[in-house]
Amino acid sequence: MAGLGLSELARYGFVELEGAIAKLDQLVDAVGDSGRSALADLGESANPDQALNALLDLSSIDRVSVRKLLSKTDSAARLVRTLGASSAMVDLLRRRPDFLKIFEAKETALPSQSELRKRFIEALSKDSVSVEERWVQLRLTYRRELLRLVAFDVTSRNPVEVFGIVSAHLTDLATEALEAGLLIARDELVDSCDQGIFTKSEVNSTRLSVIAMGKCGARELNYISDVDVIFVADSGSEDLDRDRALEIGTRLATRMMRAMDGTASEPMLWQVDPNLRPEGKAGALVRTVESHVNYYERWAQNWEYQALLKARFAAGDERLAEDYLSRLKPLVWSAAAREGFVEAAQKMRERVLDNIPSNEVNRQIKLGPGGLRDIEFTVQLLQLVHGRTDESVRVSDTLSAIEVLNAGGYIGRQDAIVFTSHYKFLRSIEHRIQFAQMRRTHLMPESDAQVRSIARGLNSRWTSTQLMERWNEVKLEVRSLHQKVFYRPLLSAVAKLGDTAQLSSDQIFDRLKAIGFDDPKSALAHIEALTSGLSRRATIQKQLLPVLLEWFARGSDPDSGLLAFRRLSEDLGESHWYLRMLRDSSGAAERMTQVLSTSRLATGLFERHPEAAAWFEDSNDLTALTLEDLRLEMGAIVERHDETEKAASSIRSIRRRETLRLAMAAVLGAQSMAEISQGLSDITESYLLALKDLIDDGSIDLGIVAMGRFGGAELGFGSDADLMFVYRPLESLEPQKTAERQIAELRKLAADPVLEFELDIDLRPEGKNGPVARSLESYAAYYDKWANTWEAQALLRARVIAGSEGLVSEFTALIDRYRYPTEVEASALTEIRRMKARIETERLPQGADPKRHLKLGRGSLSDVEWLVQLLQLSNGAKHPSIRTPKTLEALAACVSEGLIEQHDATVLEEAWKLASRVRSAVVLWGSRKSDVLTEDRRQLDGMARILEYPSGSAGTLEQDYLAFTRRSRMVFERLFYDAK
Amino acid sequence: MDKQRDFVLRTIEERSVKFVRLWFTDVAGTLKSVAIAPAEVEGAFNEGLGFDGSAIEGLARTYEADMLAMPDPSTFQILPWRGEINPTARMFCDIQTPDGQPAAADPRNVLRRALSKASDMGFTFYIHPEIEFYLLKSSELNEAGEPVPVDKAGYFDNVPGGTANDFRRRAVQMLEELGISVEFSHHEGGPGQNEIDLRYADALTMADNIMSFRTVIKEVAIEQGVYATFMPKPFTQHPGSGMHTHMSLFEGDTNAFFDASGQYHLSKTARQFMAGILHHAPEITAVTNQYVNSYKRLWGGGEAPSFVCWGHNNRSALLRVPLYKPDKGQSSRIEYRAIDSAANPYLAYALILSAGLKGIEEGYELPAETEDNVWDLTDSERRAMGIQPLPQSLDHAIRKLEESELAAEVLGEEVFSYVLANKRREWSDYRSQVTPFELHQNLETL
Repeated sequence: MAGLGLSELARYGFVELEGAIAKLDQLVDAVGDSGRSALADLGESANPDQALNALLDLSSIDRVSVRKLLSKTDSAARLVRTLGASSAMVDLLRRRPDFLKIFEAKETALPSQSELRKRFIEALSKDSVSVEERWVQLRLTYRRELLRLVAFDVTSRNPVEVFGIVSAHLTDLATEALEAGLLIARDELVDSCDQGIFTKSEVNSTRLSVIAMGKCGARELNYISDVDVIFVADSGSEDLDRDRALEIGTRLATRMMRAMDGTASEPMLWQVDPNLRPEGKAGALVRTVESHVNYYERWAQNWEYQALLKARFAAGDERLAEDYLSRLKPLVWSAAAREGFVEAAQKMRERVLDNIPSNEVNRQIKLGPGGLRDIEFTVQLLQLVHGRTDESVRVSDTLSAIEVLNAGGYIGRQDAIVFTSHYKFLRSIEHRIQFAQMRRTHLMPESDAQVRSIARGLNSRWTSTQLMERWNEVKLEVRSLHQKVFYRPLLSAVAKLGDTAQLSSDQIFDRLKAIGFDDPKSALAHIEALTSGLSRRATIQKQLLPVLLEWFARGSDPDSGLLAFRRLSEDLGESHWYLRMLRDSSGAAERMTQVLSTSRLATGLFERHPEAAAWFEDSNDLTALTLEDLRLEMGAIVERHDETEKAASSIRSIRRRETLRLAMAAVLGAQSMAEISQGLSDITESYLLALKDLIDDGSIDLGIVAMGRFGGAELGFGSDADLMFVYRPLESLEPQKTAERQIAELRKLAADPVLEFELDIDLRPEGKNGPVARSLESYAAYYDKWANTWEAQALLRARVIAGSEGLVSEFTALIDRYRYPTEVEASALTEIRRMKARIETERLPQGADPKRHLKLGRGSLSDVEWLVQLLQLSNGAKHPSIRTPKTLEALAACVSEGLIEQHDATVLEEAWKLASRVRSAVVLWGSRKSDVLTEDRRQLDGMARILEYPSGSAGTLEQDYLAFTRRSRMVFERLFYDAK
Repeated sequence: MDKQRDFVLRTIEERSVKFVRLWFTDVAGTLKSVAIAPAEVEGAFNEGLGFDGSAIEGLARTYEADMLAMPDPSTFQILPWRGEINPTARMFCDIQTPDGQPAAADPRNVLRRALSKASDMGFTFYIHPEIEFYLLKSSELNEAGEPVPVDKAGYFDNVPGGTANDFRRRAVQMLEELGISVEFSHHEGGPGQNEIDLRYADALTMADNIMSFRTVIKEVAIEQGVYATFMPKPFTQHPGSGMHTHMSLFEGDTNAFFDASGQYHLSKTARQFMAGILHHAPEITAVTNQYVNSYKRLWGGGEAPSFVCWGHNNRSALLRVPLYKPDKGQSSRIEYRAIDSAANPYLAYALILSAGLKGIEEGYELPAETEDNVWDLTDSERRAMGIQPLPQSLDHAIRKLEESELAAEVLGEEVFSYVLANKRREWSDYRSQVTPFELHQNLETL
């Protein structure tokens, strides 16, 4: 075109500038001057190059029509912008140039639903044509109307604002297509030769109703998506029995679906998806109302009720549909009152997020973080929580829902406005992506050119970067909106918040209960205490509490978590670092809520060591200190203090602090079980050594022998420290008395009312009747004379942790002779087996269920340990590699030495590990020791979370524990009692 | 639930029901019943009926005594034998723990779990049992220490004016009144032995029906002055009472066992399902045949299915593929013949179903068909053909069960260990008995 510069073309939005000039000339050649005026419209279109190419193509097919359309401003705009926005519509027009007529019409409003129905009926009215021809007619009618809609959409002044109209119209169009499909199916069943096996009156007496679900049900359909439906049928006459009516109904439904998606010369419209029906794919396609109701009453799961929220009559028999809806809709709301309904809904949401392929997360408009699903989920959740008592919020589409939630005071005005506009914005993007090629997708395209078309489709001045920037802003805001809209108003009753919904206490209680607070009243009191006043702390907490509440709600005990947080917050007061951590490091605050709402042990220790809150910030702080570090720190205290009691008190404090560190690490999964066991053993060891240093007056050489789990460095939370004492006299004249006095003192210093420390010396020679300490010689004499197998077995896990080098090596050499004997008599082994059998019946507490006893129970710790010890005792002399006080290490070594099959060892190891972890979890959760697997569901659930099961796994943990130990018991019985 | 609940409450009013019995089944398969007044029914629907679970065998651990019985309104029926003067109704219950979780030890819940697994795989499980039982003059024994049957007739005999005819007519009538459809009823092989076949239904409904059935039969017997027993083998010389069960899986409306092109019109699904059952049959026998006496039936000869094999219309096989009726694709099914009339139907069907599903999941291969009468083969022949025996005694069955991961998973760890403990106790009690057999054989010669 003469006089047109390339840069001017670029300003119009063309990409291929050189080519465009030539093509514009061609256009003028073909259609005359009106081709010139088209330039302005091309500049407004989403993709000018595509539009121009299409104009040329179409004018080569129907020059007259194109010229006519381009000669008038409004028809030119409709045509050009449609061509620029949708290559699918270009293809359609190439195929059906007669559709160009649509652009002539000066319709300002879209046809009404009844007008649409008329058009479908008209198109199908021709008699004596084949079924396939009628399908083609139906689809062409649909596509003609779709074309009209696209033209309306792309020429609207503000695409975001007309989203509601477009979406409703798409729904009407789909609904009428279903109705038309049903019409064809009815005729087909009577007339056509392969289907015509029912009489006309039978078919006419069959009542069939199509219920729209999902987006179609909510009247917020996309340009292209599956249309979710459910079918209801019944007999409408006494002459037709119900089974027959269902059979006819099923055929009608199937044929109706084929009208949309069956093969014909005009391609399919979309998939009709009937899988939301009872029993899903496996269920009958068509059911009576009664049968639907039966199913929902007996079998339906939560999500199925949720799906019903959006059910609506679509096509067929309207009275039948009303019957269906009036009976099922109330069920939704009674289901919402069920325990765990909200939790289940939340879980669904998390599953959806987990299922998005990672390379798509950032391009997902619907399912990604900050996507449409986030808005829909928040809105539905609020409807479920408040719809139980307030019928006004029971509406099905998202936009109306936001409106009524705002009107009811559940969402603040400002939030409602933002929600609405973001929702419309995202949906408009989605629409543009879809109609470009009429593909069912919710992904932002990868190519920049395509993104650019979408940007220009929304605003012809936008570049792709501008769209992406705006989109990212919206995503960010949407992500925080859930939080803001659901949790923030929980503060509204007690704190003045200008920008959020003001809820009544009852409404707040509803929400708190729905997310798992058992005692919403106290929770509200804590919220009040945390947010009242004008201090910096209150201000920051006001900001933070909404998100903290959400995290507490995910823990197993939100009530006590919130209480603990209140206490912690009061202790730490205005500490600068604490407030900064809460405010700036969201990861830290989240970890803190997790610990506070799952572990009473940690929470209790926190009150003594609030400064430990700082560790949440950096995961390195959750690593156990090494034994050397512990020894250094405690040693320094011993050096510094002259007063024993003061020093001991500081040492006790270190033990609590370090136990807290490991408890936090355990709850947060920051350290493995092996690391934590080692850490706890190190703490105990350094603790005893430091206290011993305090009382050591050089009069005797006192050795401490760690036994049992402590000997194996396998301590868990709440484990006792099993010990023996050995000494060598130095200056003392009455060494035995000195030893006994020192041990008594050690015991006294080690006792800690805050974090219990149990020093257990029952494993010593002669047990409770023996002296608390013996000299090396006395041990030698005793073992020489009396040692029985039982004592030799206990020595397998002995490890000397204190005493002079000489004492340690001599004692170790002494006991090695007994624990790894070169020859074991058969009678000794039998004795061990008998002893074990006796313990099983005698040591178990009265009335305890052996299956649930974590230590002495069926297949649990003691079974595994006895078996390993039996192997060590009989083979230790021959195989030095199995000489270790650590159970798992010994077990692995026995496998390498061929003393036990790998498979058996694995079964034992799994049971031993699980039982050990469960024992620790008991203490972490409740801060109290128990050797019995609890029956309490809540406690089981809390323990399961600590053990890294998903929430709500009480039953799974119980089953796992019982199954693991049952298998381990079978192995144990075979190898321990039977093997000879 | 609301509509059904309303129906129940309305019917109670309209029919002036005086008592409502809440029924549930303990782990051993005994029906338990709690009667409540009509005024308490509404509360029971809403909050369940609290009861002391520790009093019920295997139901609760002693320190977890509070259980809730939640009546299932869809099972509401007026009990026909109670008459119209003081009408009594019943409902089956699901048992829950106080926090509203299904009780692990509720057999109905065990079956529900197994069914929901099937439904996750897209299947519905339909069954119809053929229940055999003996009618005796009374529960007293004669001088020889044997029970006394009501007649001396045999298979399909029509006994003119006999008790058995009246009995069956009355029983069938009552069953129908309870909403349980009867397919067929006739006199069985032994004197006084009868068989009634129930029309197929989904497994949960059928298990409920079997529990009702046993009650109806006992009630009708009392009414007619005779005694009915479901004991697996009350007579040494006559056949035992089995509960042959026909089974099929449906995918939606189509029978998943049917394949027009398969051998005997069996689909691959059917073959794998059968393979699963055969593979796991020995380890679930302690549940399908749960009494010491059950093994007297299994090893008493006649047509008892003592060996793990399958056949087409082979009446000695454990798993039988019934004669195929042309054009009846929907009726494709298989028949499991070991289970006896004294089994706990909830547990037994949960296990059989799960064994079959395991076969489908793992794609087990179905062994070759057995065409001979397995009883006529020698031990070595059977060994050569790879045909294993079912457990020969309760003791043997317990040992198989102990090692069954499948049973532990399906029953749940709680029920599993309860069943084992209970059965071990029964075996040890039995073993300590001196029987008439020993006395006859030994007393005079030794």
